[in-house]
Amino acid sequence: MRAQLHKRLDVTPRQAFLIRLAGAFAAVLLTGVILLISGRNSFSLAGDALSAVIPGKIGFEDTLLIATPILMAAVAVAIGFRARVWNIGVAGQFLMGAWGATAVGLYYDGPSIIVLPLMAIAAAICGGLWALGPAWAKARLDINEIVTTLLLNFVAVQWVIWWSTDMWLDRDLGVLAASRKISAEFPKVPGTIILNWGFAVPVVLAILFAYIFRKSIWGYEVDLTGGNRAAAEYAGIPVANRIITVLVVSGAIAGLAGMIQLTGSFQRLIGTLENNYGVSGFIVAALAGTSFLAVLVVGGFVAFLLHSGIVLSTQQGGITVNVVLAMYGFILFSVGVAEVAARYRLVVRRGNGRRGPPSGAAKPQSLANGPS
Amino acid sequence: MRTFFNIISTAIDAGAVIVYTGMGELMLERSGVMNLGLEGIIAIGAATAVIASQWASTPFIAAGVAVLVGAIMGLAFGIAVVVVRANQVLVGLAMFLIGTGLAAHLGGSVSGSPPPISFNPVAIPWLSDIPQVGDALFNHDPLVYFGYLALPIIVWFVLNRTRHGINLNAVGEDPAAADASGVSVMGIRMFYSILGGAFAGIGGATLSLAFTPGWTTGIVAGRGWIALAVVIFALWKPGRLVFGAILFGALISVSFVAQDKGWPIPGQVLNMLPYLITLALIVVAVLRTRGTRTTIAPAALAEPYFREDR
Repeated sequence: MRAQLHKRLDVTPRQAFLIRLAGAFAAVLLTGVILLISGRNSFSLAGDALSAVIPGKIGFEDTLLIATPILMAAVAVAIGFRARVWNIGVAGQFLMGAWGATAVGLYYDGPSIIVLPLMAIAAAICGGLWALGPAWAKARLDINEIVTTLLLNFVAVQWVIWWSTDMWLDRDLGVLAASRKISAEFPKVPGTIILNWGFAVPVVLAILFAYIFRKSIWGYEVDLTGGNRAAAEYAGIPVANRIITVLVVSGAIAGLAGMIQLTGSFQRLIGTLENNYGVSGFIVAALAGTSFLAVLVVGGFVAFLLHSGIVLSTQQGGITVNVVLAMYGFILFSVGVAEVAARYRLVVRRGNGRRGPPSGAAKPQSLANGPS
Repeated sequence: MRTFFNIISTAIDAGAVIVYTGMGELMLERSGVMNLGLEGIIAIGAATAVIASQWASTPFIAAGVAVLVGAIMGLAFGIAVVVVRANQVLVGLAMFLIGTGLAAHLGGSVSGSPPPISFNPVAIPWLSDIPQVGDALFNHDPLVYFGYLALPIIVWFVLNRTRHGINLNAVGEDPAAADASGVSVMGIRMFYSILGGAFAGIGGATLSLAFTPGWTTGIVAGRGWIALAVVIFALWKPGRLVFGAILFGALISVSFVAQDKGWPIPGQVLNMLPYLITLALIVVAVLRTRGTRTTIAPAALAEPYFREDR
């Protein structure tokens, strides 16, 4: 008997998605095993988490609240994926968006119906501008956008801390390093305890972009740019321009996420507003691939997991954000390996094992041709 | 004048982590592989160095533990991207998150307290007696001397004057041609993945056993990403990398001095300058290569090599 790996001729998106999910599941299990080794009963932890989250209205509303910024970040990252551009600067664009929204909210005190849209526009502009530099450097000079977008995150954090602890500091509040409170508040969903309409924004955006990429010329050109840049250039598509617009749109969505988080929570600008939502969103997008609708499903699931984690960290005190970050790393690692594994299938055949059939001459699907 | 030499002295110490981490990454990228996880490997190197310093008899043993841990991270990265040929961006970001998360988790027990042993400055006889200059340039810990003086020469020599260096460049520029001429693409890429991890591990140790010293979460503060940026600034040349590392060190150093002397610049603005100026520098460096025949990045950078697709 003899086992062989055969290359698949074609990998369907569904196969690729399922194998990525399997990889993520293995990564979560691995984290559980590591926790078990370090002396914590991960099974009872998981049980506690589920029983704390599933019943009750607050648990459900909380999960939706956490899902909002994660889904926004994931949509932002997924748009980049279509052009094969990696936006790792969602955290910075998020904070700059929140900063722009705070500026409007603090200096213009009008009715919410006018202030909120103005804040949203300011946030999208600030987030988009924050991505413009890396986008230009990527498109014109071929400078790695991962490094530039990520370095700008450190700048954005310092920028927000500066404004919220200096110019805009709430001096009456004393102890907290937070800005003065802005009066505009994201509208609440009637009949709920804490939920606001923020969660609807990423859902609408995901559907909108799914439509844009299916129907519009712009979407088609972006897909072509991501699929094969040389071919897209040969076909006359302004590739540099498409890369710049994709990254700026991605940044604008991240900025908008900052505005929603700001007006939907404390209504104060603080340095910790971002809370690793960018990283969570990146994990969601990496799992979901380039499908915006898969982003919604996976995003909801990750928000559920995270909410369980938050419940755990308050109840057990043992699971910190560091463990979550390491688990995200394991998930990404598994997703990377699983993407390759999806291109092969295991063939076990009986016999003397002299020769198998020749392997197919398939091109690698997801990695070489597209950022699935 | 005294302040100026203080800045130079601190700049050299602050740049050491970039020299080591960047040099490992420079060689790895020359072979066509990009490891985006340096930030995480520095973090776990720095944390394990401090943990090891609790029982180690000399700082060299503690740094050795960091090197070993870094090499293991490099090995895991290499297996995933060189052998399995997974996407280098995904796996690199995975190493970043794993390293950052595990370092904070493991380092919790030693966080905040100074390590019992650390690297001490070694004054070079005669030279360190030169007024001002001597103390700034010739009174550093051993890792600084090796990183700034020996390492760039060794790397330059290997890259430009040996057959192995030619093979390494060939693998990064045209892996198919290198493969056809009998060079082991996988072997070279694997070796430099491990070496790059080990160098990032030393980088972490210089941070937590010499520069700071000590471990707290957030101590790495983007130095792994700066190292990646400095490799671009260096246009993949070891000499320019040393220059870039000192420049970055000087930025850190100036902001220290400014905060120390109470210059009227907000601390947060000083904190953002190293990142902003590094970004500006890589843009200028790449802009200046336009229209010249200077090649910029290795042609096969971040592309997995599938022999059967040839």
